[in-house]
Parts: sequence; C-alpha cells; structure tokens
Amino acid sequence: MITRRKFLKALGLLSATAAGVSAKTSRAEPTEYYDWSKHYYSFVVDSTKCIGCGRCVRACKLENEVPLEPFFFRTWVERYIWLKGEEEPYVDSPNGGFEGFPVIYDEKAIRKSYFVPKLCNQCDRPPCVQVCPVGATYKTEDGVVLVDEKYCIGCRYCIQACPYGARYLYPFNGPRKSRRGTADKCTWCYHRITKGLKPACVEACPVGARKFGDLKDPNDEIHKLLDENRISVLKPEQGTKPKVFYIGIDTEVR
Amino acid sequence: MRKIHIRVAMVYITAAILFLIIRSFVVPPTFGEYDWYRGDSVREIMELPPQHANATVCKDCHSERYDLWSGGAHSTVSCESCHGPSYSHTKDPIIVSANVDNSREFCGLCHAQNPSRPADFPQIDMDTHGNGNLCVVCHNPHSPWVFGGE
Ligand code: HEC
Ligand code: HEC
Ligand code: HEC
Ligand code: HEC
Repeated sequence: MITRRKFLKALGLLSATAAGVSAKTSRAEPTEYYDWSKHYYSFVVDSTKCIGCGRCVRACKLENEVPLEPFFFRTWVERYIWLKGEEEPYVDSPNGGFEGFPVIYDEKAIRKSYFVPKLCNQCDRPPCVQVCPVGATYKTEDGVVLVDEKYCIGCRYCIQACPYGARYLYPFNGPRKSRRGTADKCTWCYHRITKGLKPACVEACPVGARKFGDLKDPNDEIHKLLDENRISVLKPEQGTKPKVFYIGIDTEVR
Repeated sequence: MRKIHIRVAMVYITAAILFLIIRSFVVPPTFGEYDWYRGDSVREIMELPPQHANATVCKDCHSERYDLWSGGAHSTVSCESCHGPSYSHTKDPIIVSANVDNSREFCGLCHAQNPSRPADFPQIDMDTHGNGNLCVVCHNPHSPWVFGGE
C-alpha cells in the first residue's frame, strides 16, 4: 500500500521534473539570420495589368505542394464581366485560372471586364486566428498569418471564419503527408520572403500585376505604389484590416 | 483547524499539481515562446525548401540566353514563368531538367485575344496568326522581336 507521505513525495518529484521540461529556452527571434521585428510586409495587386494567364496559380501550387487538381488554392484568379444592359457582374474562375481563361462572351456584348487575382489578405485583425481553439494558427511579428500543420486538428472553424475564402482543408491524398487533413492557406511564401526572395506568384507574374514589399524598408518600391495609386481593400466593412491592397477594382469586387 | 479542512486542502492541492504535471507534458515545449502558438512552427515553415530560383541564378550557366532575354520584350517574363520552378535544376542541371514547352497553346496562355485582358497588352488571333506554325519558328521566345527562332 502507498502511504500518503510516499504519494506526496512522488508527486513533488514529478512536478519538479515537469517544471524542468517546461522551462523554455526563450529566444527573441525565430532564427539567428532573420530578425522579424525589422520587417512588415505588404502586397499590392494591380488588377489593371493582370492578363489572366494563370502562371501565378501554377507557380504557387508547385512552390507550396498544393494539390494540382481543382478546388485547392492558396491563390487564384477571378474574372469579372459586366455585360451590356446588365447591372450585376458575371464572375467566374475556371479551375482558379490555372489553365487560363477561355473566351466565353463576344467582345461586343461586354461592357467592362478584367481579372482579379486573389490570395490571403494576411489581415491585421485576422478572424481566423481568433476562432482557432488550439492555437494552431497565428500572426507573426512581421505580419503574416501562418498555420501550424503539426498542431492543427482540422476542425475547419478558421475556414468558416475567413470572409475571403482564402483557406481550404488540405486533402488526405495531398502530396505533403504532414499537412493532410489540416487547414492550409497562403503564407506569402514565408519560407522565401524570410530568405529575401519574392513570393513565387510575384516571381512568376509576367506583367507586374503582383507586387510584394517590406513597409519597414524605406527604399522599397512598394511605398511608391501605395503613394501614387488609388488603393482599396476587399470587404473593408468586415474590419479585418487586410494587407493586400488593390489597384483598379470596382466595389462589386469583394 | 479541523481535520476535514486539511483533507479538503490536500485534495485541492493534489488536483492542482496533477493538472500542472499533465499540462507540462501535453503542451509542446515552445508553445507560448512568442504568443499563443508553438514557436517551433515558425522555424519549421521558414525552413521549407524554395522551388523557384531567380533569373539572376540562370545567368550563371545560360548567360547567352539571359543577355538576349534581358534586352528583349520578354524581360518582364521570368525564366521560370515559362520553364517551371527550377531551383533543383540550378543545383543539379543534368539530373533535373527544366521544362520546355514550345507549343502554340503555351504562348497563347498570355497572348491569345481575350476581351478581359488590358487593351494595351499585345494579343493575337490564335486561329490566323502565324498560319498555324509553331510560334518559335518565327519568334525567338527569349526575345520575341528577334525573328528566325532559336
Ligand atoms: C549550374 C548551371 C545551371 C544553372 C544555374 C541553370 N542551368 Fe539550365 N541547364 C544547365 C545545363 C548543363 C543544361 C543542359 C542539360 C541537358 O542537356 O540535359 C541546362 C538545360 C536547361 C534547359 C533545357 C532543358 C531541356 O530539356 O532541353 C532549360 C529550359 C534550362 N536549363 C533552364 C534554366 C533556368 C530557367 C535556370 C534558372 C532558374 C537554369 N536553367 C539554371 C545548367 C544550368
Ligand atoms: C516566354 C517564355 C520563355 C521565357 C521567359 C524564357 N524561355 Fe527559355 N525557352 C522557351 C521556349 C518556348 C523554348 C523552346 C525553344 C525552341 O523549342 O526552339 C526555350 C528554350 C530554352 C533553352 C534551350 C532548351 C532547348 O531545348 O533548346 C534554355 C536553356 C532556356 N530556354 C533557358 C532560358 C532562360 C535561362 C531564361 C531566362 C533568362 C528563359 N529561358 C526564359 C521559352 C521561354
Ligand atoms: C507568361 C506570359 C507570356 C508568355 C507565356 C509568352 N509571352 Fe510574349 N509577352 C509577354 C509579356 C508580358 C510581353 C510584354 C508586353 C508589353 O510590352 O506590354 C510579351 C511580349 C511579346 C511580344 C512583343 C509584343 C509587342 O507588341 O511588343 C511578342 C512578339 C511575344 N511576346 C511573343 C511570344 C511568343 C512567341 C511566346 C511563346 C514562345 C510568348 N510570347 C509567350 C508575356 C508572355
Ligand atoms: C510565320 C511567322 C510567325 C509565326 C509562326 C508567329 N508569328 Fe507572331 N508575329 C509575326 C510577325 C511578322 C509579327 C509582326 C507583324 C504583326 O503584328 O503581325 C508578329 C507579331 C506578333 C505579336 C505582336 C502583335 C502586336 O499587336 O503587337 C505577338 C504578341 C505575336 N506575334 C505572338 C505570336 C504567337 C503567340 C505565336 C504563336 C501562336 C506567333 N506569334 C506565331 C510572325 C509570326
């Protein structure tokens, strides 16, 4: 039989080890070579330049191990068409624009039409982070919302919470094993930007419709873009404070 | 103090300690390093390997094409936009080859006439332009105003 004294002793010993395990090696920075307090990123989409070739969608999928089949997108391109005599626009995105956009309406029937690339807005006040029950999605100090694929339980709350539809559930036959069944989203290619590279979609865009920059770098061309253009964000009424800024879109684009 | 009070206190303290012990094993070590998440997750994501290199890297080995490209009308089109992600090709060019697609449809992805495209972007009628020949028979893909192909 265990006496009470023995039990308490054992308990004390256990809690001592536990305290040892949980003692954190508190580091100020994720790694030595990258100081995230010196960066704050921002993204500009110039919709007046986009030609809808879909190279960004493809580059993103290949860069980030996103399944190539439809309905899994970290970024995609939408086509907005206003037909003559109609009030509301027609919106489509065949396979996210992966193979480009076939012509569906005659030029003479179209009042106005353009392409709008979409991606995660990396909101300053992200609703997806608030709803996560386990702390598997979070905002980094340099302003990017990430998902911890080892900790996510795949409950889909964040997918529901995102007003922009930027998240999807990584399928169980996806190429990356450790990500299966978890929520996945655009990271602005966090593994690239922390090495000083541009996101893959920005790299792939042939016309400069996607621009990426660091707001804390005073010499970055992103400042010029933001200062010299009329800028809007998607769904400002949601109060999410998006960090993807759009040039040349109508209010019908949401 | 009555004995019962001590008993209740003991039960309470034991429960609290047990909770702390279980918690310390269940919560991962770097959880809360920065905030309400696992700090290691940031490092894991940062360490993912890039797939796309950059045109300046291609220059090291394909300097002739690079020079032609950087002076031509396709200088805004990254090499990898046409040849696919080539980071592993730059590390091991013989084993991993870059993609080459010289089909008409491929050029058409960007240049086919489409009313949704900006009007000032050069577009062609895919049915008639070039009489069905491969585009690269006439246009050099690396500098499309250079005629005579590769
Ligand atoms: C380390 C040197 C090196 C670098 C850097 C390099 N290449 Fe190459 N590349 C080669 C060699 C060598 C070959 C010929 C391989 C062969 O014939 O199988 C080649 C072949 C190619 C081909 C033709 C493939 C084929 O099937 O015919 C393409 C396209 C190409 N490279 C694109 C690129 C691009 C784009 C980059 C930049 C991201 C790049 N290369 C960077 C060495 C390099
Ligand atoms: C507009 C699309 C485009 C861009 C941009 C482009 N290429 Fe190419 N490249 C092609 C095509 C198409 C071919 C095939 C030409 C042919 O078959 O005659 C080719 C052929 C090649 C080849 C030779 C492969 C072969 O089989 O002959 C190499 C090497 C190459 N490209 C490297 C590069 C490099 C390096 C860059 C960037 C400086 C670049 N390309 C940019 C479309 C492109
Ligand atoms: C990824 C998109 C993309 C692909 C693929 C592509 N191009 Fe281009 N092309 C461009 C861009 C961007 C320009 C520059 C347009 C401008 O100056 O406004 C351009 C310019 C041109 C021009 C010059 C047009 C002008 O008015 O100055 C020609 C000709 C051309 N491309 C031919 C081709 C051919 C042939 C191919 C296939 C080998 C091809 N392109 C593939 C994006 C592309
Ligand atoms: C038989 C040779 C030939 C072939 C094949 C050919 N082109 Fe051209 N292309 C020309 C000539 C010549 C011009 C300049 C005169 C003109 O605009 O028609 C031209 C012009 C262009 C322009 C510029 C048009 C503009 O308005 O500025 C583009 C873009 C273009 N070609 C793309 C392509 C694409 C894409 C293909 C393949 C689908 C292709 N070409 C096949 C000969 C050819």
